[in-house]
Amino acid sequence: MHRFYVVPTLVINVAIILVPALLTVALAFFRWDGINMPVFIGMGNFQALWADRVFWTALTNNIIWTLLFLTVPIGIGLLAATLLLVARRGSMFFQVIYFLPMIIATAILARIWQGMIYSPVSGVNGMLQRMGFPTLDPLTQPSTALLGIATVDLWHWWGFLCVIFFAALRQVPQEQIEAARIEGASFWQMMRYVLLPGIRPTITLMMIMTVIWSFLVFDFVYILTQGGPAFSSEVLSTLAYRSAFYDLAVGKAAAVAVVISIFGLIATAFYIREQAREFDR
Amino acid sequence: MERRLFIKTAIALMAGTALTGAALAAGPITWWYETATPEQQGVITRNIIEPFNAAHPDDSLSIDYRGAQLDNQMRVALLSGTGPDIVYTAGPSYVAPMAQAGQLLPLDDYAEQFGWNERILPVFLEMGRYNGQLYAVPKTYETLGLFYNATLLEEHGWTPPTSIDELEALADAMLAENIVPFSSGNALWRPTNEHYVSLALNAIAGPENVYKALNGEIPWTSEPFAAAITRLNEWWQKGYFGPNYFSLNGEQQVAELAAGRAGMMPSGTWQFQHIETYFPPANAEAGFVGFPSTEDVGEPVFPLGVGSTFSVAATSQNPDGAAAAIDFIFSDETYTAMNTEWQGEWNTPLSDLSGITLGDDVLPLYTEAMQTLAQSVAQDEYGYTTWTFLPPATNSFMVSGIEEVWLGRSTVEQYLAQWDATFQQEMAEGKVPAIPAR
Repeated sequence: MHRFYVVPTLVINVAIILVPALLTVALAFFRWDGINMPVFIGMGNFQALWADRVFWTALTNNIIWTLLFLTVPIGIGLLAATLLLVARRGSMFFQVIYFLPMIIATAILARIWQGMIYSPVSGVNGMLQRMGFPTLDPLTQPSTALLGIATVDLWHWWGFLCVIFFAALRQVPQEQIEAARIEGASFWQMMRYVLLPGIRPTITLMMIMTVIWSFLVFDFVYILTQGGPAFSSEVLSTLAYRSAFYDLAVGKAAAVAVVISIFGLIATAFYIREQAREFDR
Repeated sequence: MERRLFIKTAIALMAGTALTGAALAAGPITWWYETATPEQQGVITRNIIEPFNAAHPDDSLSIDYRGAQLDNQMRVALLSGTGPDIVYTAGPSYVAPMAQAGQLLPLDDYAEQFGWNERILPVFLEMGRYNGQLYAVPKTYETLGLFYNATLLEEHGWTPPTSIDELEALADAMLAENIVPFSSGNALWRPTNEHYVSLALNAIAGPENVYKALNGEIPWTSEPFAAAITRLNEWWQKGYFGPNYFSLNGEQQVAELAAGRAGMMPSGTWQFQHIETYFPPANAEAGFVGFPSTEDVGEPVFPLGVGSTFSVAATSQNPDGAAAAIDFIFSDETYTAMNTEWQGEWNTPLSDLSGITLGDDVLPLYTEAMQTLAQSVAQDEYGYTTWTFLPPATNSFMVSGIEEVWLGRSTVEQYLAQWDATFQQEMAEGKVPAIPAR
């Protein structure tokens, strides 16, 4: 009888996730402009993607993005959360400050960085240029555009991770921490042998979610560069968006969405396996 | 007796409800519009919505501002059989697929009834045809030209260029003075790139060649187009577009020009709305001329642009009311009222502007430019903007691909080859918009 409890969520998931997902997978095998009747073309969209250099640029950018977000914000978040744990005084204040960027709308954050920091006319960058420093707007250079966008996203993201890690660290048994202190453990030894093992499941979950989110990244890229200049900051989701709504190639966009989902599925499978292991322990 | 009274009352109530429903079904006219500031929304309400509803008491025109993604929302709504009565598209290239899918009503009878065939410039009616039937009428038309800082030019003893060679000589002189020759930027609107591609195609390759290519008579890889894009690339490499192209937006272009940090601004007539904001505070005067052409092309060409059209949805419950509202927008009174308060966005393609006098506050430069454009169109001496005449995927590639050429990631030949391949595919699929005969 208790199995029926899952029915409501199952119905919602089937209706608003599974059906559109299956339709998207099906559309990946059709040529469709979003207006007229779709035409079945088999693997045509995937073959077109294989031969499309912009697709490979976008895929590479997503991988770079994932690597960046698996290291930099997680590292900073862990460090800051540990410091908050060590120096309890003012931890609430700093948590709020760190978390603030998360509650500001993405569009506003992106425009603030674009207009008030990066802009050579109205931003800090322009002020530095007028003072004689040879600075550049990173969003305008193919070699730095993706990093320029990632910087904005990292700035708003690491605080969230810090708060999550801090909450997890507070669950580490106090006796273990006290015992390590009595044994004379240094800060790094405390981190390595007590705190990090204590919050391992949280770190694993955050890393898996980072992989999934990194392949879904869209908002900051679209607002700041729309994938440019010269496709240098294109990611899979902006490529899918441009294909669907500018090129009127909805089938190709669906094929890109399938590729994005494959990476998400791999990460999800990994997460489920990890969870099963946790239960076994 | 009581039962009879009950039945009578029930019947009367049902009939009343049905009649009200029928009246409501015939009355409302819905119209989705793109982004507009609160001030601009006020201008539309004052000059279109309120006077139309006053003149048509049986109808009720309402407008819904849908933002920058109107185009995507409209496509989804029409696909699901919903959406507004008045279909506002992003240009003629979007009309053909919608007409093909049966989402739009043919407007030929309304054109006859309201006299649009006489009142609207014929070339614009041609753009809205699909398979010989009229499906859309352009809301506004625009052109590209060369704005310049007249005060700056006078201070340096320079004159506005009349040929491509003069343009390059002036741009080189500006570079030597540390002035950016072309005030330009695509930070908030990446398709700004196509303004420069359109200018190069018309001024260097010439509108005749563009016309042939749009009709599939010559490929886009032909020599005139290679020459045009090569020259455009040379301008980029020489620094004509300045160091901040990817950082500046459309309004900042005007600010830079007014401040004298840039000398010229190749751009569209929609920029007239910003001239009064930036030039008087900078104690500068603006100028506007046709973009110079090569000797082979001759006189400056005004590329014709249409960024939005009106149609009536096939599912509309009140198509007559929707057509009447479109007709109201194409009246002399609406043209005068809208262009007096909001220049550059409501230049409806009326055949005869002789009876129209705009308000005293309107920049004479704007009135002159619009009259010159109307004259060029009436004499069939116009060029082609890419956003009006290229099919969607070709246009999308053209916008992004030119950045690859500028930044050395692709050659002119590679760029044009992919442009042509995309165009040929879309042409085979019937996605090229109607091209009026020259």
